[in-house]
Amino acid sequence: MEPVAYFELNFRPNVALVSVVRRFVTEFYERFLSDPDGTSRVALATHELLENAVKYSKDGETTIRIEVDVTQKPIVVKLRLRNRAEVAHIIAIKEILEGVASAPDAFTFYQQLIGKKSKQRQGSGFGLARICAEAEMVLNQHIDNDMVTIEATTSVGGAR
Amino acid sequence: MSELVTVTGDDFAGSAHVDGATVQAVLKGNADYAAFDALEMLLNRIHSETKRLAANEVVVDLRQLEFMNSSCFKSFVSWVTDIQELDDAKRYKVRFLSNPTYHWQKRSLHSLRCFAVELITVVEQ
Repeated sequence: MEPVAYFELNFRPNVALVSVVRRFVTEFYERFLSDPDGTSRVALATHELLENAVKYSKDGETTIRIEVDVTQKPIVVKLRLRNRAEVAHIIAIKEILEGVASAPDAFTFYQQLIGKKSKQRQGSGFGLARICAEAEMVLNQHIDNDMVTIEATTSVGGAR
Repeated sequence: MSELVTVTGDDFAGSAHVDGATVQAVLKGNADYAAFDALEMLLNRIHSETKRLAANEVVVDLRQLEFMNSSCFKSFVSWVTDIQELDDAKRYKVRFLSNPTYHWQKRSLHSLRCFAVELITVVEQ
């Protein structure tokens, strides 16, 4: 087995494609990971990041790269999404990531966010916090003008 | 048993019916962005009918629900908030039936239960 398996898609996702891609990457993860919970976590993160891209990409284009590094023990999975975004969305991402970083832990922040947004009917605003809390992934953001790159990284037990 | 509501989409379906003092709901498929409006309609109808019937529990069967995105999860948060805001006498419980092979369910239902531990129970089947 090669140490790092990856694929990269450059595409214009839409709502229907997000679930198609989630199912595709789930099969990709299952090829390398023997941990069903780990596979579920990274599939959830992939879905949430792609839906964010559908909603907020400035020009509709998104690049997603998924890496599985089986030389690490436990295995390291890294998702990277790049798209152009409006300033308001870049600020919103930054606020969520700063909120997670300043909270005692990601789950505590997520619960606070759930309480805060429970009465809002439009949009969830939960996606990134859910990735941190439920998918247990570490998020980092890089900004170059209007190009946003979000990296989500986690460790997953069990190589096939 | 009498049927309360049924919603269907390309990749998502939900229904609810009354069984004695309990409202029973079943969700199937993929609760993603495309399912959001249908799920909102389903939960709103369940809430209004459960109040009207003075039922004491809603059972939500998620065992055939492959996935739920954060927008649909938020719909459940809003529903639970609506229940919390009812008078004590009208407040009802929610019991989720979950599928242990859909691992996201354990994590997401834990998040929801922590938000309303007094109202929610989760049963893995």
